[in-house]
Amino acid sequence: MSSASLTLPRGRGRRRLGPTRVLYFAGVGALLLVVVFPFLWLLQMSLRPEIEMFSSAIFVWPTLDNYLALRSGQFPRNFWNSTVSSVASTVLSLLIGVPAAYALSRARFRAERHIELWILATRMAPPIAFTIPFFLAYRYLEMLDTVQGLVVIYMTFNLSLVIWMMRIFFDSIPRALEEAAWIDGGSVWGSFFRVTLPLSAPGLAATAIFCFLFSWNDFFYALILTRTQAMTAPVAVVNFMQYQGWEWGKIAAGGTLVMLPVVIFSLLVRNYLVRGLTAGGIKG
Amino acid sequence: MAERISDVIPTAHPIPRATAGGTGWAAQQRRAFLAGLLPALVVLAVITLAPAVYLLVTSLTPLNLALPEQTTWNFSRPWRNYAELLQDERFSNSVWVQVRLSLFTVVLQILAGLGVALMLNGRSRVLEAIRTTFLIPMVLPPIVVAIIWKVLYSPDISPLHRVLAFIGLPIPSLITSPQLALWAIAIADVWEWFPFTMLMILAALQMMPEEPLEAARIDGAGAWQLFVWVVLPLLRPTILVAALFRLVDSIKAFPLIFVLTNGGPGSVTEVTNYYAYIQAFNFSYLGFASAITVVMVAGVFLLSALIIKMVGKEVEVE
Repeated sequence: MSSASLTLPRGRGRRRLGPTRVLYFAGVGALLLVVVFPFLWLLQMSLRPEIEMFSSAIFVWPTLDNYLALRSGQFPRNFWNSTVSSVASTVLSLLIGVPAAYALSRARFRAERHIELWILATRMAPPIAFTIPFFLAYRYLEMLDTVQGLVVIYMTFNLSLVIWMMRIFFDSIPRALEEAAWIDGGSVWGSFFRVTLPLSAPGLAATAIFCFLFSWNDFFYALILTRTQAMTAPVAVVNFMQYQGWEWGKIAAGGTLVMLPVVIFSLLVRNYLVRGLTAGGIKG
Repeated sequence: MAERISDVIPTAHPIPRATAGGTGWAAQQRRAFLAGLLPALVVLAVITLAPAVYLLVTSLTPLNLALPEQTTWNFSRPWRNYAELLQDERFSNSVWVQVRLSLFTVVLQILAGLGVALMLNGRSRVLEAIRTTFLIPMVLPPIVVAIIWKVLYSPDISPLHRVLAFIGLPIPSLITSPQLALWAIAIADVWEWFPFTMLMILAALQMMPEEPLEAARIDGAGAWQLFVWVVLPLLRPTILVAALFRLVDSIKAFPLIFVLTNGGPGSVTEVTNYYAYIQAFNFSYLGFASAITVVMVAGVFLLSALIIKMVGKEVEVE
C-alpha cells in the first residue's frame, strides 16, 4: 500500500503529482466526506423549512424557523440546566481534585496504588453501576430531578478525570522551582499556588474543558435521574422523537445547538485536546 | 515512581539542614500533602465507593419498586437473582450480542484508526487541518451522533436511502432488520470512535524514534517492509492500549442503541448494559438489574486484568 510510505515523510523532498499522490488525495477526500457529511447533513436539516423536510430538493432557502420553534417550549430551560450542571460539576471537581493530584504527584502514600486502582475501576465501570444506587439514594433523599443531583453524579467521572489528568501534568513540571520556593521558606501549598499551578495552566484548561464536555455530553444519567425540572438538553432533544409525529426540524435544530458549543470548544483547544485524550500515551 | 520522594528532597537540590530541620520539616510537608489529598478521597468514597457497596447489597435483594414493602432490604434468598441470571436466556443473549458488537467495533476501529493515522501523518498545515476535522465524530455529543445516524438510517428522510433508490439500488431499513440491525449500530459506533484510535496512533507515530527507521532505510527496506518490521512493532503498545480503552468503553454503549433500535428488533441489539437498563427502569426490577450490573462489572474488570496481564510489560514500556 502506498500509504505506508507516507508514514515517513521526512527525507522525501519530492512533491510531484504522480498517480500515487492523486490516489492518495482521492482517498483522503473520500474519507473526509465520510467523516464530515453526516454532521453537515444534520446542520442543513436544521435550516430546512418543515415542509421541505422530506422533499428531495437539494437546495432550499434556509430558515431559522426550527430554532425559533425551540424558544417557546421547555428547551431554553433544558439548555440552562445542561450549562449549570456541567459548569458546577467542573468547578467542584477541579477544586477538590487538583490538590489531590498534586499531592499524589509529589509525595508518596502507602495507599497510592489502591487509589490508582480505584480511580481506574470507576473509569471502567459502566454508568449503570452508579445509576442504580444513585437513583435509589436520590429517591430517598428527594434529589431526583434536581440539578444538584446531576452535579454530584457527574463528579463520579469528573473527579477521577481531574486527579488522573492533572497528576500527569504535575509530573511533567520540574520540581526545582518549587524546591527553590521551599528553601526560601515557602509552604507546600504556597509554592504550589505561586509556582506550580501557573505553570500547569494549559493542563488545567484542558482538564476543565474535558470535565465540561463529558458532563455536557451526558445522556444516560440525565435520562434516568431527571424528569422535567432538571432535564438537560440532550434528553430534551431525544424526547422530540417520542411524541406523535417526529419533529425532525426541532430534533435537528436542538441537536445542532447541543453540539455547536462542543465542536467550537474542541476545535478552539484542539492542541490541548489531542494532548489530553492521549494523556499517559504521550508525556503531558 | 518508587523514588519519588527521594527525587523531591535529597538528591539534585539538597535542602540545607538548617532550613529542613530534619524530620520536623518533612513531617510538616507530609501533613500538608495529606491535607490536599484527603478531601478528594472522602468525596470519592462517598460518591463511588458507597454506591458500589449499595449496588452489591441491592443485588442480594429482590428489590422491585412496584412492591417496595415486600422487597426492600429483603435478604431471605440472597443468591436468587444470580441463580435466575444463570437461567435467563435473555441475559445470555445480551452477552453474546455484546461480544459480537465489541469485537467487530474494536477491530474495525483499530484498523481504520491505523490506516487513517498512516495516511495523515505528516507535518504540513493541510494535513493538520484535515486531522483536526477528523476529530469531529469523536467530540460530538454521543446523543447527537445517535440522532445523525437515526436520520441516515430512516428511509423516509435519509439521504443515503434516497441516493441508493435514485440509482436503482433501494435497500430496506437497516435498523429494523433482525439480520442487519447490529451491524448498523456497529458502523455508527466505528464512525464515532475511530478518531480515538487514530489520535493515539498519530501521537505514537510522531514520537517514533528516527534511528531504527534510518537504519532500516539504509539497509534498503522498502516502504512495506519498513511498516511491517519497524513501524508496526513500535506501535504495538499504543495499539494495545487503544484497543483496551475501546473495549472497555464499548461495553458502555447506550445512546446509539437507545435511539437507533431500542434493543430491537426483538432483542438482537440488546447488549447487557441495555438489558440491565430495561430491567431496572422499564420493569422496576432493581434487585435483578443490580445483579446483572455486578456480573457485567466483574466481567469488565476480569477482562481488563487479563489483557493487562497479557500485554502488561509492553504497555509499561510506553
